[in-house]
Amino acid sequence: MQTMRMEATVDVQAVDPPVFYATGKQPAGAAPARLWPAALAPYRDLANLRFDFPLILTSGKAGAPVISLSDAVNAVLQEIAPPGRDGETLRRTVLRIERAVRKRAAGGAKGTLSEMWAAAAANLEEAARSEAQKAWAALGLDGTVLDCHQGTAAILMAHLWSAAQNEKARQFLATAAKLSAALSGILRADYLRSAEGRSPQSLQAAMGGALQSLFDFSEMSALLPKATARDALPESRRRRLAWALAVLEQQRFFAVPGKAHAPANEPYGFRFDNCGEALAAYRARLPELTELVKAMAVAELEIDGAYNEGRHDAYFSGFDAGSLRAEDRARFPDYLLVLGDESEPFDNTGVLAVLSSGIPLKIVLNVGDLATGDDPAALGVRSTDIATLAAALGNVFVLQSAGSNLYALHERLSRGLAFAGPALFSVYAPPATAHLPAYLAAAAAMQSRAFPAFTYDPGAGSDLASRFSLENNPQPEADWTTSVLEYADGDLQRVRQEVAFTFVDFLACDPRQLHHFAVAPAGYDRLAPAAEAIGVPSRSAVPFVAVSDADNRLARLIADERAVDAARRCLEKWHRLQELGGVHNSHAERLLERERKAWEERAPQASAAEAAPPSAPVAVAEAPVTEAPAEVERAPGDAFIETPRCSSCNECTQINSRMFAYNGDKQAYIADVKAGSFAQLVEAAENCQIGIIHPGKPVNLAESGLEALIERAGPFQ
Amino acid sequence: MTLEADCPLKMYEEHHDLADYQSGVPRWCSGCGDNAILTAMQRLCRDHNLRPEKTAFISGIGCSSRLPHYMRAYGFHSIHGRALPVAEGVKMARPDLDVFVVTGDGDCCSIGSAHWIHALRYNMNLTVVLHDNHVYGLTKKQASPTSPRGLKSNTTPRGAYLEALNPLTVTLGVQNVSFVAQAVDWIPETLYDILDAAFRHRGLSFVRVIQRCSEFLPKLFDPWLRDPQKVQLLTHEGALKPSAGLAAVYKNQLDHDPADMNRAREIASLEDPIPVGILYRNPDVPCYEDLRLSDKVRNAETIRAGLEAEFDRFTVWPGGKRTQRGRAQGGNADDANGSDG
Ligand SMILES: Cc1ncc(C[n+]2csc(CCOP(=O)(O)OP(=O)(O)O)c2C)c(N)n1
Ligand code: SF4
Repeated sequence: MQTMRMEATVDVQAVDPPVFYATGKQPAGAAPARLWPAALAPYRDLANLRFDFPLILTSGKAGAPVISLSDAVNAVLQEIAPPGRDGETLRRTVLRIERAVRKRAAGGAKGTLSEMWAAAAANLEEAARSEAQKAWAALGLDGTVLDCHQGTAAILMAHLWSAAQNEKARQFLATAAKLSAALSGILRADYLRSAEGRSPQSLQAAMGGALQSLFDFSEMSALLPKATARDALPESRRRRLAWALAVLEQQRFFAVPGKAHAPANEPYGFRFDNCGEALAAYRARLPELTELVKAMAVAELEIDGAYNEGRHDAYFSGFDAGSLRAEDRARFPDYLLVLGDESEPFDNTGVLAVLSSGIPLKIVLNVGDLATGDDPAALGVRSTDIATLAAALGNVFVLQSAGSNLYALHERLSRGLAFAGPALFSVYAPPATAHLPAYLAAAAAMQSRAFPAFTYDPGAGSDLASRFSLENNPQPEADWTTSVLEYADGDLQRVRQEVAFTFVDFLACDPRQLHHFAVAPAGYDRLAPAAEAIGVPSRSAVPFVAVSDADNRLARLIADERAVDAARRCLEKWHRLQELGGVHNSHAERLLERERKAWEERAPQASAAEAAPPSAPVAVAEAPVTEAPAEVERAPGDAFIETPRCSSCNECTQINSRMFAYNGDKQAYIADVKAGSFAQLVEAAENCQIGIIHPGKPVNLAESGLEALIERAGPFQ
Repeated sequence: MTLEADCPLKMYEEHHDLADYQSGVPRWCSGCGDNAILTAMQRLCRDHNLRPEKTAFISGIGCSSRLPHYMRAYGFHSIHGRALPVAEGVKMARPDLDVFVVTGDGDCCSIGSAHWIHALRYNMNLTVVLHDNHVYGLTKKQASPTSPRGLKSNTTPRGAYLEALNPLTVTLGVQNVSFVAQAVDWIPETLYDILDAAFRHRGLSFVRVIQRCSEFLPKLFDPWLRDPQKVQLLTHEGALKPSAGLAAVYKNQLDHDPADMNRAREIASLEDPIPVGILYRNPDVPCYEDLRLSDKVRNAETIRAGLEAEFDRFTVWPGGKRTQRGRAQGGNADDANGSDG
């Protein structure tokens, strides 16, 4: 990092600070030019730093659809470069290539990583080229290189969206192909058994060309049994199968690779750049989608053999768009809308209206400019409000972020695309200015809370705490982000100072807003850092921001009151977001306060209670849980069978099936002891190999030979 | 719309009772242990509410192999010793079916032994029940591989010369074995519980049921029937847990973790007391049908294309030149199948 020098003056005409603060009027020629906010000074030489950009939009099927160049390079170095000195040259070569690719991308070059890698490698000396080649081979991925610029969000989101749609297409087509194959299989089997299928002509057609003359197909046909009417598919079922098959084959929601389409039957497109058209397309296609879902459900039931006309006909005849479940819709492509390019300004109400309709639209708002006119008061209002409003709709996935932060959030982006419902991605991606590269301009907006990042993910849980996240904002607990500024003072002594990066600093990055600033006159010391002035309005000191000029000289810019007012409004909005994200939540803080007070009031009594001996825990005696065998009520001397041990061997039931019967589990019990003789009872007991029949005492005392029988029964009682 | 459990369409599911799985009157002798196995099977089907049209019982030849006739479900009373390969074919073609294999000690351990070994190694998701009555019943008392040494039978009038083969130790010696259990037909509760665990296991579950033949070996198991101590119940948390009533009768119990293969092999070698329970279970062994799962759709066109490609490799063209395609394709019939050729 270069050390900045503190200069007493920057060559501009002096202003009267308090007057400027109050009026915002600059003397002619007093506007500062080409100044950097001091906090951003370390990043001036961006192309030589390693950071999240450029990205590689990978084209391969495996792996994440996007990776940053630095991550890809780190992974490959980890894999192929030995640690320590041995891997040093290889590491250096690869990092040189990375730098070259980054420079090319930053310079506006377009192309794939393989092209840029090859071009960078060609500039290396001979020895390094083979290392570059080796690293390339190990990298194992390729794709378009995407730098951070105004169009980044649109390109990245379209890429992620395509990846998600391709995956949906793969799954849908695999299911559809299986269903079609099974449906045609059933229809074909039916045909083959039919009179027509077994006709001589059809048999002949089934036999290859040259061999046809060798057989007597009429004879063959006469030999084959024809299906009886009972075996043939009922006409209603055949029609249903044919209908489902036709609907599946004519669907236009997914392009079937290699299938030729009549112009009237082209697969649908799902990318739009206008809310009305997307909505109209969705509505126009809804009946067809409903029909397709219904056909697939019918097909699954039919294939499973579970279609029951008595039950399902009524259900399916009433099947309409209202019958679709979220999972059903989620199988189909989502609509992608990219709005907010200069060509297509968007209107908030239109966007909110389509989002609240609940249809699976993924809207990307490409916010290129936070300003509306030159009024700092209106800054950011339109573009940040739409995201917070959309989040309030409840069932819309919302992600707001600066373009610079998209890679850090890419998993969330994919989550939003996968969310079964509407999603809004509001991305601030300003163009590069003479002042700042696009990446830094975007990062400054997030750093200064002008465009904070947040996600509202209705799929993450049922309450706000699970759904709302401020993750990825720098220092989310603080009002403003701070960093340590190092510079050399007038005596060339190193000074370290913590500086905040406020909304006023952000304004100072925008050349169009520079009329709200003036260079502080030399020696003027009644200045206060902007962060202080925003918090506590004061007439005694004029707010300033630290900037550095082209020669890296540090200076102070004083801001006018309108800029400070705008910063207060920005802070107010940030506080609301913080509350939603659970940071300094007023409800929680009040509750905490109330609890603390209550606790303090209770505290003296509690400590007294603590001194008393603790009461012994009351032992709760739990009844032992034992599964007692179900005992049937039985008088002593009654005949019985230990039913749970019966092995269903039929011995007893064959002796007398009225006396011995099986229960619902097919285990024997004595159904009617009077239905047979005591002799039969004893015989059964003797025949039962498991010995579970207990004859008890005879009920008919007049039965002959009882005495001997009672004796035989003895061992089984 | 997918027809998963939560789908409203599935609420119409039919419920079955035991009688819905019964078919005909078994032609087995009274007192035959096959009856107990049949009942346990019917209870299992009822309790899992298996759809009869989605259930297949495949058997070989023997008294026991008649079981599919008595189940109201799909059945295949196949050829002697070949129940397993037939069942494997059924499962491969129709992985959505629940496939049960019914086999006897002659059918499985004699003529079918090669298929037995390889079926274990393939570990397809089948529930295999070996009705081991220690004799060929259908052919009127011929010695089987599991007949005890010295058994006088029509084929061994001077008594069987060889030690009996132990189906448990054989099974536990085969690579990829994933579920081995033993039951006895005269304890219906454990028979049912073991079949239930076998059915729930994903992979080939092999259940040997020691089964009484009331006709030809009526006294063989009398000592075990009379003395519950001669049966050792293998219990374990998550495996077999006898009811209080049963535990009161069968007090000889051993805690055995079915994940322990070495211990399982030791227990398998025990003959007296007879171990009853789950000896070995490993849910992580892959199933062959999963390993071979293909997302290629097989319909008339893809099959025709695959066959054409295969035939092309052997086509001799007038003029003597073979097709380039044939040579370039090499010998992999799998790849030719279902691809565009
Ligand atoms: C290829 C062939 N060989 C021999 C036979 C004769 N055979 C029929 S059943 C049987 C043995 C059956 O024994 P097991 O499998 O134990 O069944 P069980 O009848 O005892 O239930 C034999 C050898 C046959 N049917 N087919
Ligand atoms: S004889 Fe015994 S085992 Fe056989 S059915 Fe009757 S009670 Fe059950």
